[in-house]
Amino acid sequence: MNRAQKISLTMVITFSLGLFLGIILIVMRCFDVGVPKIAFLFPVFIAGSGGIISITCFKKDKGTITFDERDKLIEKNANLAGFGAVYLYVILMSFLPIGILGEEASIPVTWCPVLLIGAGFCQAFAQSIAILIQYGWRDKNGAK
Amino acid sequence: MAQNELKNQIRRLRFENSEMTQEQLADKVGVTRQTIIAIEAGKYAPSLPLAFKIARTFNVSVEQVFQYENAQT
Repeated sequence: MNRAQKISLTMVITFSLGLFLGIILIVMRCFDVGVPKIAFLFPVFIAGSGGIISITCFKKDKGTITFDERDKLIEKNANLAGFGAVYLYVILMSFLPIGILGEEASIPVTWCPVLLIGAGFCQAFAQSIAILIQYGWRDKNGAK
Repeated sequence: MAQNELKNQIRRLRFENSEMTQEQLADKVGVTRQTIIAIEAGKYAPSLPLAFKIARTFNVSVEQVFQYENAQT
């Protein structure tokens, strides 16, 4: 498993965990369990920790050649997947509030930076999944 | 439906060339070992320059390393 795969796997795990916790908190809030707003920072922190872990824990790959034409192609396709995911996210987030809240409703302006952060997470998540799929979830023939 | 498949003889050629390892071949042609593994397994079609580099490493023509098969299924 090379550095890009390790980073992607970490990102996918932390993002999934953050998403799962976020959904739980939203459901709890819907049922009036008494979840404070500050608690929503916890899943964001969990999701964001993937990036911090990646920077600090995964050093450069060993060997003279660490990046070649295949890696370049995978990176290019992953970037495209990330861009596509953000595009879909923007479309979804543009219409979802109208569908849920109705045409006459209003949303606080603080939602704008939240949506921006969401777009960043969405891009990184899609990119990580694309990298893992293209390299193969588990390399055969003993490739590590 | 037409299915295009790029077969290769890299594994055989490596063993015929004093049992060259994937790592040694990767270093000679300037790619990672993972890429050699992917090419050998037929999961990745190399670029023309890389195909020529691999062929030249074994002192054979590109056709002797890679065979293109267009199978109608």
